[in-house]
Amino acid sequence: MIENAPCGYVSLLPNGRIEYANQTFVDWSGHAADQMIGKRLSDFLTMAGRIYYETHMAPLLRMQATFEEIAIDAVTADGQPLQLIANAAERRDSEGKPLSIRLALIRATDRRRYEQELLGARELAKTAEKTAEERLQREQEASELREQFIAVLGHDLRNPLASISAGARILDRTVQTEKEHQIIAMLQTTVMRMAGLIDNVLDLARGRLGGGIGLDRDARQLLEPVLVGVVDELRLASPGRIIQTEFRIDRPVDCDRSRLAQMLSNLVGNALTHGASSKPVIVHAQTRKGSFVLWVSNAGQPIPAAAMNKLFEPFFRGNAHASRQGLGLGLYIAAQIAKAHGGELTVSSTPTETRFTFEMPLV
Amino acid sequence: MLGIIERNNMHVRGTGEKAMMFAHGFGCDQNMWRFVAPAFEDEFRTVLFDHVGAGGSDLGAYDLNKYSRLAGYADDVVEIGRELDLENAVFVGHSVSSMIGVLAAERAPGMFGKLVLVGPSPRYIDDEGYKGGFTAKQVKELLQFLEANHMGWSAQMAPMIMGNPDKPELGQELTKSFCRTDPEIAKAFARVTFTSDNRADLARLTVPTLVLQCIDDIIAGQEVGEFVNRTIPNSRMIVLNATGHCPNLSSPDEVISAMRTFV
Repeated sequence: MIENAPCGYVSLLPNGRIEYANQTFVDWSGHAADQMIGKRLSDFLTMAGRIYYETHMAPLLRMQATFEEIAIDAVTADGQPLQLIANAAERRDSEGKPLSIRLALIRATDRRRYEQELLGARELAKTAEKTAEERLQREQEASELREQFIAVLGHDLRNPLASISAGARILDRTVQTEKEHQIIAMLQTTVMRMAGLIDNVLDLARGRLGGGIGLDRDARQLLEPVLVGVVDELRLASPGRIIQTEFRIDRPVDCDRSRLAQMLSNLVGNALTHGASSKPVIVHAQTRKGSFVLWVSNAGQPIPAAAMNKLFEPFFRGNAHASRQGLGLGLYIAAQIAKAHGGELTVSSTPTETRFTFEMPLV
Repeated sequence: MLGIIERNNMHVRGTGEKAMMFAHGFGCDQNMWRFVAPAFEDEFRTVLFDHVGAGGSDLGAYDLNKYSRLAGYADDVVEIGRELDLENAVFVGHSVSSMIGVLAAERAPGMFGKLVLVGPSPRYIDDEGYKGGFTAKQVKELLQFLEANHMGWSAQMAPMIMGNPDKPELGQELTKSFCRTDPEIAKAFARVTFTSDNRADLARLTVPTLVLQCIDDIIAGQEVGEFVNRTIPNSRMIVLNATGHCPNLSSPDEVISAMRTFV
């Protein structure tokens, strides 16, 4: 029955030499039975199989008397690999001395090929994962470097600007003619515009550093004088334009006032740039039940539908005259400030009116 | 980081002035000494441990870089010796641990007074004028073959193997884990074992040494044993009747009596 069983069957003496091999194993291996008897099982294994037998299988059998599902690589008479899976048991006498070792062998060529493929796939997956990780790491490093660069650049640009502004102030005290005063006023306006651009760049860098725009909220300070100050400054810088205000702030607003001033300045600046110059820009601020609303409107050409979705993205620039264009950060930063306050900046644009509305909750 | 005792799953037994440290080779763990070490517990303090990556050692301490050289394992042996204040102790190393012991003795003079090397080989791959028994190609095939033999290893099993071997309820499962190793670690250990060359270290060894050589050992043949015996200045060799590579398991009595003639 064992002779032609559907598995190889080999029995070894305690010294590892073969005492019996069934016909099935003889057929698989191509070695005649009488060639195998008396030889070591190792003699019919690949070198790797021999090492494994000596370092793992033989010790295991001595220690725990059996093993299961261990791979064995044999070699056939004509030198072909014969891949097997083995179960084995050591038969012992009453004193625990080994009497014989019996092995049941199953051919495992397909299974081993499949296992190799799995291993190969795992290696591939590992490599891919590593590559992706490295790429991410590189991109993070590049991005950090870029943001650091922007931050340093913004800082270094501010200093010369402060010198220009201080110089202009000193000159303003000594110049005589109206024309000279006008030139110095223009210089100061340009300095202000430049400072605003630098602030925007810095805010972008900060916003992109992950923390978002930081706020310094204070509900006890009045908001209205700050908003009035922003409008007055812009009126001075844009002679000939009308800016109307409607302020009804009768509750404390827990906000960062200088950030809201920055937002208003960006919105009004935008309205003056893109709105019809013959029509007024309207600034409206109001506390309602549970919220604070600030909106800025202008007349003129409506914003094209295609541009509406991109308005609040950084570096988006409308089709204004090139010399009046900024970096395209004003609306992006205004939206970030709104978000930092737990609020939202929205836009509506019709042929009669374009309106940016900021609304934030009040506790 | 666990202490050295946990890291190397150390077990100290026996009584005696002197200590005897047993180090297992590539393949299984300290259980390789289970039929030999108890025989010396009356005269020696016996120290058994698992190399990091094997048996009940702390797999978290496995550092691919450190253990890519036998020196990394030798450093651990020295640390274990220092932990126990070993002086003039006997080091018994099987297979690759023979060379680990040679390196450890060189690193910590005075720690080991005698070395017993069971089936040692300073280099497995043949070289000009030297027959180690293997070609480089065969060693490469072994490393590939080890991937096919995961010994029932899977990630789910790992925490259990690292569990406490003193818990009897885990005994049954742990019994089956003697030779179970993370395939990645098994491959790395095989690589450092079968590609090392420590021939130059043998000549520098000053500690008295006993080489135990089996007949019919295909891992470390008689020629290699003779090379080791000839190259170590203060060495003698006993050829056992045992066959194979693990006389500590197959003929423990013979190993014990041979050791007694020396220690």
